[in-house]
Amino acid sequence: MRFKSGFARAVALGAAAVVVLLALDGIAHVLMAQNPFGGPPPAAEPQIGGIVGWILAKQSEFYREISTTIRAAKSDGSAVWTLLAISFAYGIFHAAGPGHGKAVISSYLVANQETARRGIVLSFASALMQALVAVVIVAIFAWLLNATASTMCNAEKVIEIASYALIAAFGARLVWTKGGGFIRALQVERPAPVLAAVAHHDHGHDHEHHHDHHHDEDHVHDEHCGHSHGPVPSELAGPGGWRRGLGAIFAVGLRPCSGAILVLVFALAQGLFWAGIAATFVMGLGTAITVATIAVIAVSAKDVARRLSSASEGSGTLIMRGIEFGAAGLVLLFGAGLLFGYIAAERVTCF
Amino acid sequence: MKIAPRRLLGLLLAGFLVAGGGVAKAHPHVWITAISELLYAPDGSITGVRHAWTFDDMFSTYALQGIETKQKGVYSREELSSLAQTNVESLHEFAFFTFAKADGKKEKFLEPVDYYLEYKDTALTLHFTLPLKAPVKPKQLVLEVFDPEFFIDFKLADKDPIKLVGAPAACQMKFERPNDGAAGAQKIGEQNFLSGGANANYGAMFANKITVDCP
Repeated sequence: MRFKSGFARAVALGAAAVVVLLALDGIAHVLMAQNPFGGPPPAAEPQIGGIVGWILAKQSEFYREISTTIRAAKSDGSAVWTLLAISFAYGIFHAAGPGHGKAVISSYLVANQETARRGIVLSFASALMQALVAVVIVAIFAWLLNATASTMCNAEKVIEIASYALIAAFGARLVWTKGGGFIRALQVERPAPVLAAVAHHDHGHDHEHHHDHHHDEDHVHDEHCGHSHGPVPSELAGPGGWRRGLGAIFAVGLRPCSGAILVLVFALAQGLFWAGIAATFVMGLGTAITVATIAVIAVSAKDVARRLSSASEGSGTLIMRGIEFGAAGLVLLFGAGLLFGYIAAERVTCF
Repeated sequence: MKIAPRRLLGLLLAGFLVAGGGVAKAHPHVWITAISELLYAPDGSITGVRHAWTFDDMFSTYALQGIETKQKGVYSREELSSLAQTNVESLHEFAFFTFAKADGKKEKFLEPVDYYLEYKDTALTLHFTLPLKAPVKPKQLVLEVFDPEFFIDFKLADKDPIKLVGAPAACQMKFERPNDGAAGAQKIGEQNFLSGGANANYGAMFANKITVDCP
């Protein structure tokens, strides 16, 4: 337990660092953009590294090194270690780009009363599933069937659509349940005034035993646990909640990342499929760290919101149910947006 | 309650970061080294563009996956013909990453002709000709080659990247490479991140711009 909470704290710390860096970066840019002489802003922005730009440049660099390193590993086995190190770094940077379920996982965590620890577990599980799917696709299509890239790509497209549809369906279900909670909160004339906000508590096993039955609708808060639970608490932390967590992992993790597929096929062609597989999983590990960081930020933000809203008398529950409902809506929007192409995900390489 | 505004700020910032995560941009997965030719008719009008695009090592290998050959590692033009077909058909969706403006007016291209793939030194090169829907004879033609989503990084070849084939002698050609990749990425990334801008023209920063002036 001690180790786990230490780990959670470390991730939270990392998350805080990212926020601070981004804030500083933004401030630096605002300052740089102002002309001290009061004239129009300078035409060319000085090349002070924007962090986002730096991330983009870095991942590009790492990605190009992956193919070089795989080629090198053909003759020099020790290059595999370099490959793993680069893949790990690439994963960390790459997850900052589109896809990888950051938005979906974060919204899901906010919509449900999830702990940071569970956010981390969900992030790792979905990232590892992504890696696994990429390996399975390449193993079946390229290695076993020796199918062409375009066949493989069509399979990827089908999987992609399935993943987006699942996210949308998952979001719709969240909206349905959270909408109920929101409406109930609207109907409660005087909601429970005090919502004791305990950010970190054990959402573990002993908890579940109390909750595998439904509470009555008027049971807005859950006193014997000492923290605020929604009107539908048993669905969240109870066994059903874990099952739904699996749903999130599956929906998000189903779509592999195009980069991993390219790396795997390339490694296979060089006769180093195993190295490609190892690189893919290490990449997934890196991705998971970034996604987990963002997930923890989302959960912490909600905890702050909960503390703030509990200070405002009466409307606290309503605000929290509103945030949850909004987050549930976001999951649905992400799913629908991805499905109908309004949100650009990473392109599937089909030429 | 005194610290509430600061906390609220933190909350907004965190929310921003989460939302921004979805906005942050992809990086290129495919690199293309291009050589482009502008084709002129005897009367001095432009009829189309001929491209030769060489893919990077990794993508070339990926594209060749599962293609049967008589001799291992050697791919003839015939053996690659169906792949070339797939290539040009898929490129349609992306407007062939080729954008032409004649005196400021956007020009359309027809489907590619004379396309084939060539395999040399572990790299695939796609050759194809894009005929203009209607030949044009503008004072100024601007041709840009880039991927708006920057999934593909286009770089025109170091040596003789552009040729004017049969152009009137008086025509002057100017060629601008994209700004230094990293610096460009930083600027645009930052802008998009802060404004939450759409994906739409992200890659324009990385465009290769060819301008031909004919008096």
